[in-house]
Amino acid sequence: MYCDCKLIILMLQMGELAVDKHVKYILSVQKKRKDSFEAVVMEHLTMNGAYWGLTTLDLLGKLDVVDSEEITEWIIQCQHESGGFAGNIGHDPHILYTLSAVQVLALLDKLNVLDVDKVSNYIVGLQNEDGSFSGDMWGEVDTRFSYIALCCLSLLHRLDKINMEKAVNYILSCKNVDGGFGCIPGGESHAGQIFCCVGALAITGSLHLVDKDLLGWWLCERQVKSGGLNGRPEKLPDVCYSWWVLSSLIMIDRVHWINKEKLVKFILNCQDKDNGGISDRPDDAVDVFHTYFGVAGLSLLEYPGVKAIDPAYALPVDVVNRIFLGR
Amino acid sequence: MSKGDLISKGNGFDLLDQFEHILDSDPLIDEVGFIHPSQFVILNKEAESSKQQSKDEIWSSDNSLDHEDSNFWNRDHKLGISAHVLLPLYKAAKDAFMDSIRQYKIVENLPGASEDEMDSPRSSAMESEVMKHSKALLLLSCDFGTAWNSRKLILSKKRHMSLFSDELLFSGLVLSYSPKSEQAWCHRRWVIKMIAGQYSAVQEIVGKESDLVEKIAERSKMNYRAWNHRCWLVFYMTREQVLLELNKSRKWAGLHVADNSCFHYRAQLMLTILDLSWHKQEDETSDHDVEVYQIWKEELLWNEDLIKRYVGREALWLYRRFLSLYWTRHFATNVGDATHQSRHTSCVADDVNIFLDNELRLVNSCSTIPDNKFEDFHAQSIHAATYILWLTKQLPKSQEIELKKKLNAGSLLTMMNEACPERSPLWSNCLHGSI
Ligand SMILES: [Zn+2]
Repeated sequence: MYCDCKLIILMLQMGELAVDKHVKYILSVQKKRKDSFEAVVMEHLTMNGAYWGLTTLDLLGKLDVVDSEEITEWIIQCQHESGGFAGNIGHDPHILYTLSAVQVLALLDKLNVLDVDKVSNYIVGLQNEDGSFSGDMWGEVDTRFSYIALCCLSLLHRLDKINMEKAVNYILSCKNVDGGFGCIPGGESHAGQIFCCVGALAITGSLHLVDKDLLGWWLCERQVKSGGLNGRPEKLPDVCYSWWVLSSLIMIDRVHWINKEKLVKFILNCQDKDNGGISDRPDDAVDVFHTYFGVAGLSLLEYPGVKAIDPAYALPVDVVNRIFLGR
Repeated sequence: MSKGDLISKGNGFDLLDQFEHILDSDPLIDEVGFIHPSQFVILNKEAESSKQQSKDEIWSSDNSLDHEDSNFWNRDHKLGISAHVLLPLYKAAKDAFMDSIRQYKIVENLPGASEDEMDSPRSSAMESEVMKHSKALLLLSCDFGTAWNSRKLILSKKRHMSLFSDELLFSGLVLSYSPKSEQAWCHRRWVIKMIAGQYSAVQEIVGKESDLVEKIAERSKMNYRAWNHRCWLVFYMTREQVLLELNKSRKWAGLHVADNSCFHYRAQLMLTILDLSWHKQEDETSDHDVEVYQIWKEELLWNEDLIKRYVGREALWLYRRFLSLYWTRHFATNVGDATHQSRHTSCVADDVNIFLDNELRLVNSCSTIPDNKFEDFHAQSIHAATYILWLTKQLPKSQEIELKKKLNAGSLLTMMNEACPERSPLWSNCLHGSI
């Protein structure tokens, strides 16, 4: 294995991360929102988009280019009377957007605008008898929602309000023979779901309940010849899994089981070096989602010039420290 | 608002009117697509040559109809929407929907709004507005959650079986062209749960639902949402249905050997029958056990056959990991030759050893590469070696040591390090220690 210095030199030899171009790209997406059908049909998840875009900017050290007052104002308008947040103004609340809203406010250091009990009561109200969480009042259950609930409550210092033991047991009931996790008990293992389950277990201090060698085996088998990671067996590699697989491997302490240099190379090859942005695979069209996951993946790989990100909370480490250590 | 905005807005409402009129007059639409304007010409020509009378219709239509023809195309229950009108149409549909649901909620939340109030003509007119506009909107933007929710809200008040059936049809239509729409799958589960709570038709629906997933999976390969839905259905299945599903999905799996999701689904079905046979053990005879044992044995043989026929398929080897692990854990130790439940430890160990010897033979036969240039054979040998290493790690300590001796672990490690150098930390981890 290479020592860190050697890895950094290698990374720099591989070609640069086009930081300024990516910043420009993120900002242009914000502005272009209303011109095309492709853009407006995504308006229901603008809250997620805000999280992806702003976290990318922060990781690249450029969060100061946005107007944080304006964003905070908009987020407040997305809050529903139930306490949950919607993906955009006038839409229905959902736990997915609630986490993004809390994360963005954390990034902007604006958590103080929240009525913390109101938001946490919304989440607490979504826990079911078996420990699982529904995504909203209509009752769909998914381990993603368990992660979101635990992550959100932890960021708000309200983890004590739910039945944590049941929450953890439900997640464990979604574990498969291959060591991975699915959406529901018996659901197929998927890198995205694994991130959610491992992240939730990390946040609740329950990682000792994971068979790390078995899960690590499944995760490192996701690396394909090109160096990229796929999300499931027999699938093509995709930049977004750089985040999900990698963060899980870090949390269970098995990241040395994959080839980091090849992965860095794969992510850098997915950049649009002319107009900025990162795509799922080399030469595909870029989008904010993959730009975020590409940069976040590079952050986990300790790419020079990118701020460190916390693998469980999916927020820059300094933001997480501010919340938990008060600095 | 600028004059340009006003014009496009007016245009949008006209488009929405046309669109909703088509949806209303042809409730049997089973296919929707967004098409490039140039395709209209081709589609119309095709229709002309197939149907002489449609030609007369087109030529007899006045200018305005001609104009409509270039926005929407609707024949034989197929609906095409011109990509050029999508933006104004979407904006109009969204505005109309948001207005209608806002008004509906105001009336619904009026103090003293009783059941009677909600049945009033005014209220049902509002409901049909919400249903109409949400339908139009969802056909354009299938993951617009608020629109699906509004439909749930109205359906949960009405609770008519026929409305639930309509909803299954509608979400099926959305899935026919957006097979990965998370919201559409989620909506179906909500509808099925509502039906299951009230009507007994759920077993019948489960069968149909499973067929729908298979149909969609045929066109949308390794669709996680679709297969997750099918796994969810297993909770509602009777033992007979599970066995039927195992039979039904077998042929499909054999034709789609790279589809890991399908093999995961089979694994779920296998685990369910295994589970059911355990729960019956107290009062039932061991007939079920024998049956499950047979099914498991046949599945292993079938999988081995596929592995030899389709060289280098990861999904097949992963499925074998699952089958073998459960075999060593449950059948080699419990049923043995399928007649007795409790056996001597030495016999149990014997059974496991016979099984593992067979696995070693399979792995060896798959490790010979006839020609280095064939990538598939190269992949096959790696999958085979990884399979046996994985299985070794999962066995109880005594069996692990035994198997490692037979494996000639040292040469295997060299081979793996050469074939897959990036995973060398993993290989050394799993061979470390007890060799
Ligand atoms: Zn992706």
